[in-house]
Amino acid sequence: MPDRDSAGLMAQLVGDSREYAPAPGFVDELFADTGVPRKHAANLVTTLDGMGRVVLTELGHRRDEIFRQQGITFAISDPSGAPHERPFPLDLVPRIIPADEWELIERGLAQRLAALNAFLDDVYHGREIVREGIVPWELVLGSPEFRRAVHGVRPPGGIYFHVAGCDLVRDADGGWRVLEDNLRTPSGISYVLENRLAMTRLCPELFTGYRVRPVDHYPQLLLGALRDIAPAPGREPTVVVWTPGPANSAYFEHSFLARQMGVELVEASDLVVRDDICYMRTTEGLSRVDAIYRRLDDDFIDPLEFRPDSLLGVPGLIRAYRAGTVALANAVGTGVADDKAVYRYVPEMISYYLGEKPLLENVQTYLLREPEQLDAVLDRLDGVVVKPTDQSGGKGVFIGPRASDAELARQRELVLRDPSLWIAQELVCLSTTPTVTESGALVPRHVDLRPFAVCGAEFRIIPGGLTRVALREGSMIVNSSRGGGSKDTWVLDAAGPHVAEVEDVAARELPDMPTLEQATWTGQEQQQQQQQQHGSGRAGGDG
Amino acid sequence: MLARIAHELYWIGRYVARADDTARMLDGLFRASLQAPGGPGTARLPWETVMTALGARPDPDEAPVSASEAVRSLTLDADSPASVTACVARARDGAKRVRDVVSREMWQTLNTLYLELDTSDLGSALRTGPYSVYAFVRERCALWWGLADETMLRDQAYAFLAAGRHAEGASMMLRMLRVSIVPSLALVDESGSSAEGPAPALLQAIGGLEAFRRSVPGPADAYPVAKFLLFEPTYPHSVAAALELVHGRLRDADPSYRTAAPLLRLARLRAELEFHRGGPPQDGGEGLASLLEHVQRELSEADAEIERRYFSGAAAQPHVVTA
Repeated sequence: MPDRDSAGLMAQLVGDSREYAPAPGFVDELFADTGVPRKHAANLVTTLDGMGRVVLTELGHRRDEIFRQQGITFAISDPSGAPHERPFPLDLVPRIIPADEWELIERGLAQRLAALNAFLDDVYHGREIVREGIVPWELVLGSPEFRRAVHGVRPPGGIYFHVAGCDLVRDADGGWRVLEDNLRTPSGISYVLENRLAMTRLCPELFTGYRVRPVDHYPQLLLGALRDIAPAPGREPTVVVWTPGPANSAYFEHSFLARQMGVELVEASDLVVRDDICYMRTTEGLSRVDAIYRRLDDDFIDPLEFRPDSLLGVPGLIRAYRAGTVALANAVGTGVADDKAVYRYVPEMISYYLGEKPLLENVQTYLLREPEQLDAVLDRLDGVVVKPTDQSGGKGVFIGPRASDAELARQRELVLRDPSLWIAQELVCLSTTPTVTESGALVPRHVDLRPFAVCGAEFRIIPGGLTRVALREGSMIVNSSRGGGSKDTWVLDAAGPHVAEVEDVAARELPDMPTLEQATWTGQEQQQQQQQQHGSGRAGGDG
Repeated sequence: MLARIAHELYWIGRYVARADDTARMLDGLFRASLQAPGGPGTARLPWETVMTALGARPDPDEAPVSASEAVRSLTLDADSPASVTACVARARDGAKRVRDVVSREMWQTLNTLYLELDTSDLGSALRTGPYSVYAFVRERCALWWGLADETMLRDQAYAFLAAGRHAEGASMMLRMLRVSIVPSLALVDESGSSAEGPAPALLQAIGGLEAFRRSVPGPADAYPVAKFLLFEPTYPHSVAAALELVHGRLRDADPSYRTAAPLLRLARLRAELEFHRGGPPQDGGEGLASLLEHVQRELSEADAEIERRYFSGAAAQPHVVTA
């Protein structure tokens, strides 16, 4: 039997891909079977094999160093509870989505977002969908995210959310399902851009043989959408990004977006509302603000309308918003549509508002506020996932099949205390994808996908999105706050090589690059001329 | 000061700036070449064009040049005045001859850069990741300029070093504008936007995208980008700002600057650019093309005049007996 070292050596010689075995019962993104890469992954797997464990481990160290240097970190708590910063965990094996599959996702998301936007417009106006009895009124009017203050306010262009992110997963049958919609302040786009940048710098050879669609136009799309909603006729609109402050866990992203868009990053103390007009305090006095990309929840933005104890808010902002002098992105009150219970009704919204069949399916969801569904779920609590409707970031999620008897009993009690706070879902068998371990080996780990959309005149989905990966074996919790990592997500370009290349006319007319030798030469020539002149003038001078 | 020393400093300035600019361009363009063009502003420059613009002369029979070949030649080719290592070697040769004029720290910075490039296996470093090579070059160049600012007297030596740096910057910017922006103006549609142009890619490659975003509110289309890179007085790498800096440094160095031919020419050129500041003529690129050509011609005239006025004594090699 070989000892440890030689086993390691063997693995390196044999190559990891041949040993890579997808977990049974799950779809693997890159491998069809043990050691057999899918067609779109063949190139990548060959390159990875060529690199081997040693190079991958080495690259991992370099990646951590670069991320730490650039401050791309996030705060987590170690077991003792003390917060510390660690580099954002980017896995070096990219996730690849073929062009045709992406096309479906793109169309499916655009459809879903169009329906959700129509729903929000309905909720804050006629509420036809409630009258028709399709969505229960308690879920709309009774939602803590329903904002009476903006009833009847239609934002510019009728768009309620300008930035959206939907969480997608691939189930055991290979089909895509939507797990969650994020219509308030979805975060993660900065990691999509930084991951791509890091991958092109760290391991450009992985891109060999692929045409990966770029993602770095996102800030421009966002800026365009924000400028479009700014009520600033006849002048250049002023757009700002509003952050709760450096203590916020997504502060990196806020400053990233402000820098990339070239706009100010403001905090509440920078903004002031006078006579229903929003200004920021500058060195030259007050300067009018036309559109605000805000990265904090409705609850906190205006202490006069919402939580009076909010120190992060700007008094009077909602009045200015209602007066139409300033645009907010996302609009106030969008949270009512991304509630986990409302999620259950999105397929109905698609058929009600658009008259279409949903292209992307939901995960089968049970509302525990309905007595029959509650009973059915309680009978098989060990077979479902139970989630609180008012939490995000994976908090409070209960996974039945993984729970002990004591946990089952505790969860049953929690649910029974107030069933309306909970939903239950069928367990989704998240697909896996090869992921590098500390020692450079490839192992299957579960992933989800959060594509990001910028919504204006049309719904534009950035190719790819954030692939989050559960770094622990078997774990399906991918949230970065709970030990998840991320991957660069490649959407392959469908079109052939139609590179829009610029003509090479001007290049031929360029003068040669000047050099020191040439310069000396002109000087010398001139000097010789001088010399000749002098020489002829002073022939037979000094001797 | 000695004409020979001034000449040397001027060219050290040019070569360090050229190494820096080329490293920046290559990093940006190589990164862009890894991804498919798609989305706004991702049209690509052919590598032959890039090579010509950066001063390497690609063999016309070898077209199209691959990314790795272009990167290799623009980084390693010791014979080309365009490659990063050649520029660094020449700057370091120059610095060796003026070690008494530049500070010890500056010399060490350049020498370390040269030795590091000379001794490491750059070929394989370029294959696995050019980024680390270019990042190192850029850091060292930035350190060099930082040390020049911190440790040199503001005397003639500093003036000629800085003048060379900015003359190179202006010339490089004009070359890049001519090969990338001018042809893309032909693609501009009626609405005045050129979503497919390489303008954002150019900005990104020269490291000016963030500055552009903060300065210009609109999208990075060909016209606003051309305007920014040509005229923007607050962006130190714009042609106008660089010319202003060349002019300013030479004025510092020249006691009778009012009658100096190169300064008069530079002042006139600045005034001409100021006159066009409202924006380049929007006529499908022809007006801009001839403006750029004119500015570049004037700049090389000014360069020749600088040589004549300040350095002509330097041309005399030790063995040439002068009258």
